Order: sequence, then C-alpha cells, then structure tokens
Amino acid sequence: MTVTLTPAGAPAQISRVSDSASMVRVDGLTKRFPVRRGWMDTLRHPLAREEATALAGVTFAVERSEFFGLLGENGAGKTTLFKILASLIMPDAGTVTVNGLDVVKDSARVRGLLAPVIADERSLNWRLSARENLRLFAALHNLRGATGERRVSELMEITGIADTGTKMVGQFSSGMKQRLLIARALLSHPSVLLLDEPTRSLDPLGARRFREFLRDEIVARQRCTVLIATHRAEEALELCDRIAILDRGVVRAVGTPNELASRIVGERYHLWTLAPSHAALACLVAQGTINNVVIGECDEDGWTCVQLEIPGGPRTASDVIAALAAEHMPIASFERVRLPLAELIERIVAGRSAVLADA
Amino acid sequence: MHKLFALVRASWLVGASYRMAIITSFGSLIVTVVPVFYIARAMQPMMGKVVQGQGGDFFGFVLVGMVAFMFIGIAVGTLPGIISGSVSSGTLEAYLTTPSSLPTVLAGLMSYDFLWSFARAVVLVVTGAVLGAHIAWSKSLLAIGILALIVLSYLPFGILGASLMLWFRTTGPLPKAVIGLSGFLGGVYYPTHVIPSWLHSVSSAIPLTYGLRALRRVMLEGKPLSAVASDLGILTLFIVGLCTLSVLAFSRALHDAKRSGSLAQY
Repeated sequence: MTVTLTPAGAPAQISRVSDSASMVRVDGLTKRFPVRRGWMDTLRHPLAREEATALAGVTFAVERSEFFGLLGENGAGKTTLFKILASLIMPDAGTVTVNGLDVVKDSARVRGLLAPVIADERSLNWRLSARENLRLFAALHNLRGATGERRVSELMEITGIADTGTKMVGQFSSGMKQRLLIARALLSHPSVLLLDEPTRSLDPLGARRFREFLRDEIVARQRCTVLIATHRAEEALELCDRIAILDRGVVRAVGTPNELASRIVGERYHLWTLAPSHAALACLVAQGTINNVVIGECDEDGWTCVQLEIPGGPRTASDVIAALAAEHMPIASFERVRLPLAELIERIVAGRSAVLADA
Repeated sequence: MHKLFALVRASWLVGASYRMAIITSFGSLIVTVVPVFYIARAMQPMMGKVVQGQGGDFFGFVLVGMVAFMFIGIAVGTLPGIISGSVSSGTLEAYLTTPSSLPTVLAGLMSYDFLWSFARAVVLVVTGAVLGAHIAWSKSLLAIGILALIVLSYLPFGILGASLMLWFRTTGPLPKAVIGLSGFLGGVYYPTHVIPSWLHSVSSAIPLTYGLRALRRVMLEGKPLSAVASDLGILTLFIVGLCTLSVLAFSRALHDAKRSGSLAQY
C-alpha cells in the first residue's frame, strides 16, 4: 500500500496505479470550469476567459468491493469527480475507467455498471409514491414487467420503505427519501455505487442507522464497490477501507485511516505529571523540540495532563523525557496519542504535514 | 417503447394527483368554445365567403385553428419547460445516469403533454360538433396525421428553445415570437389571404400556414390526401430543414453543458 502525503500547494505525488484488478481507476484527471465574470469585467475584456481548476491531476484506484472515501472540505472537487465518474461531466484531461471501460468513450456501458446516488431529494418525483418512483426508473434501467416489479419490491424491503404504501414521497422524512434514493440507485444491480454526502440531511441517529445499512447491506451483502464523498471524518472512519484526502482539486493523501494517522509526522503525546515545569517546557518549545503544548487542569489526585507534539518521532520523544527528568519534572506516564482523523485531515489540508512516502 | 410508456404513466399519475387542475383543464375548454361559437355565428355572414376554400363555416374554421394552435404551443413550449424544470430539480441528472438515451427520456416526458392535449382537442372538436360545426369524421385519421406533421414542424423550435435553455438558462423571446407570429400570420383565426400583401411573404415562411390549410380542407371539407399533397410536401420540407438544424444545436448545447458542468446548475 502506498501512502503519500503532500503539503498544500505542492503537486500531487500519488504514484501511478497499475493494478488491473481495480474496479475504478482515475489517472491524471483534470477539470477546469469557466469562472463567471462581472458585467464590468466582461464589458472591458469581452473575449477574456478565466478558469478555475476543480481537479488537478487526480490519480487513485479503487479495488472491487472496497469502501473508498473521498474526504475534503466543501469545494474540494469531490462532486465534480463523482459527476465525471457518472459521465455527467466531461474531463479536460486524464482518464477514468470503471471495470476497464472508459467513462467518456463507453459512457452508456459505464452507466449500466455504476450508479450515482444523487443526494438531492428534489430529484425524486414528490407527487408519486416510492413504488411508482422506483417503477419509473426500473423501466429506464430496462427492467420490464415481472422482473422489474420483483426488483422494486425487493429493494423497498431491503431499504425499509416497503410499508410506505401509496404515501407520496413529498410526505417522507429526509431519512426515508435517502433510502429511496439508494433504492433507486440499486435498481440495476450496480457494481459501483457513488454516494455524495449521503447523510448531510440526516440527524445523528438517522445518519448512524444509514451507515449501518451501507456497511451491512450494500457492501457486505450486495458486494458493491462504494465510493463515498464526505466531509465527515467519523463517517470515513466508520465505513471506509481506504480514504483519499482531496484538497482544492489535489489528492493530498491516500491510505487506510490508520495508516494515515500513524504515518503523520509530528505525533501527539500525553504526559502525566504531579509538577509540570513551565520553564522546562518553554525551553524545549524555544529549541523547537516540542510544540503545541497544552497544560491541563490538575485533577482530584493532583495529576496534570500535558499535551504536546514532538515532531522528531520516537527518538526525539525519549530525548524529551530525559530533558524533562533532568529538570526534575516527575513523569508518571508518557503515551503517544494518535491524531484524530478530523485533525489529521485539517493538517494535511493546511499543509502542515511533511511529504512522506512509504511502501 | 416500454420506457416511453413508463414516463407517460408517471406523468399521468403526477397530473392526476392535481384533481382540480384536471377538472378546470376540461372545464375551461367548454367556457372557451361556447363564446367562440356565438361570435363566429354572428360573423358568419361576413366571413363565410372569406373562408370558402377552407370549409365555408367560420366557426369550424376557428375551431380547427384553435386545435392546431394548442398543439403548436405544446410543441414549442414543452421541451424548454421540461429542460428548465428537470435541470433545476435534478431529475435530468437522475435520468441521465440511467442507460436510457436522452432523446428517449425527453420524448417520454413530452409524450404526456401531447396525449393530454390530444384528449383536450377531442373534447374541443366534439363540443364544436355538438354546437354545429361540420366535421368530416371519416377523415379523422388523415387529420390526425396532418396534425402530427404540424407538431413535427414546430417541435424543432422547441428543441432550439431547449438548446437555448441549456446554453443560457433562458429561451429568450424565441417561443413567444414563434407562437405569436404563427398566431397572427399562420391563419389561425382568419385565412392568410386577408392579411396585407406585404406580409404574405412572412406568412408563407410559417409552417402553420400550410398545415392549417391542409387540416381544414380535410377536417371540414372531407378532401382526400391528394388534394392537400402540395401543402404537406412543403410542410415536410420545413420538418426536414428545421429538425436537422435543431438537433445539431441541441447536440452542441448538451456537449457544452457536459463540458461546463452546467447540467445541474440553475
């Protein structure tokens, strides 16, 4: 497994993926959109053309039946990437293949394999029942007669909307609409499912149930390859086998959540002491050996937790312990704490991490 | 075909969920046709000779004009409306992610409006017949064929409007200009030979002029196909030329929308 972290602004350094077994392969994908200009600017320079880069040389691969997360802030390029995968937008450069089929040249066949779950509830027909919505799309997916009817009933059962009867979708809760959107996407037995922020309109409990459904039903039973775009780190942690961190159209890192967390330079440590020495800590900060020091409140038993970061790794950490002991600071416990994923992403995006490549 | 049926069925179910709208849709036809009958009857002594070559009955003349005009409104306005509505709601994107082709989806979505208009046209014509309009029922199939040609000759304007909708998010004045010009100069409420001579050249560039003339001769006078062949030939030329132009424009607009990513941005 290759994990590569690049600082913000640096070109993507993701190695080319050559695994032919990959279900989805994205290679050097680039997309720019024209920027809407103001009236005055247009009048002054009518022929000028400004473009904003949405994706810049994005490269990664997703294995069969893998749950792959695309993490990034709003505007990172996740939705654009999904729309290119779904052949709704044409790329400017690079190639994207789904099961070996090019999404531009073989778009019709790709649409038979891949199903984007369009998270917009308005894309449902609100004046129809769930069954009627599914019947319509079953027909558009070439599922006729009894076959289509069976698939519709099956999916309504799986997604837990079988008891909605003739109730119009407009009267559904957001959670039920999300389930219907999933059911609609699953109609054609897709090999790849694209989920773009599927839990954004769900309450925390609904979101948790939905994640359980995705893990147990979609991946475990349906054996779908799933790409999920989200800006919720906990969602990625809970669901994804691997994640890619996308920032302003550039892939900053790809790997499992644990790999990313354990390889980040400058790990965080917790130190428990009965007498924190401010002077000793300040001295180490001044030397650049430690940083981001937070001295907590003293607990009932007199222990104080000091949070600190040691950029130099375990060897420097032992030097820090020795230095603090030399300053007569009694240390009862010293432990490495993995960075929470959310913070990790924030750091990668902010470009505070160092480039790291490890096979 | 089953895809078209599914789309028509879904549109019908949506339409049927607005029960009041259905009732008023048919009710308004009765309210419209009755005053037209009385006005036409009052004007018959003056207009009878003017419409001599197209049935001779002014009420029947206007009735057929109203039916054709209703269809060109649908042909010109429906497709841009569907594009506009489905782009803003995201349904177009949802349809485009299925293996069904865009022309199939759009044809299915439009079909309901045409079928609905057909039902309304039948009510209109039957009401007119009850009120005294002379209809050559034996030529119904031929009349429906001519009506289909009229629709096909105006559909390209709808496709052009849809292209403009994809490019600029507005059709601009195109639909109103086409419908307005056709209404005034296409012979809907009066025959084209009564308009000023300097406008005749404009009138002859309007497909409705030929379509309506043929439709009236068949529906009101019971003429055979051979009697209206020349008008239908010209109408066919319009269809071929305009369809080619509009399909090219739409393909380009769709390509540009996919390039710019604007298919789901309203």
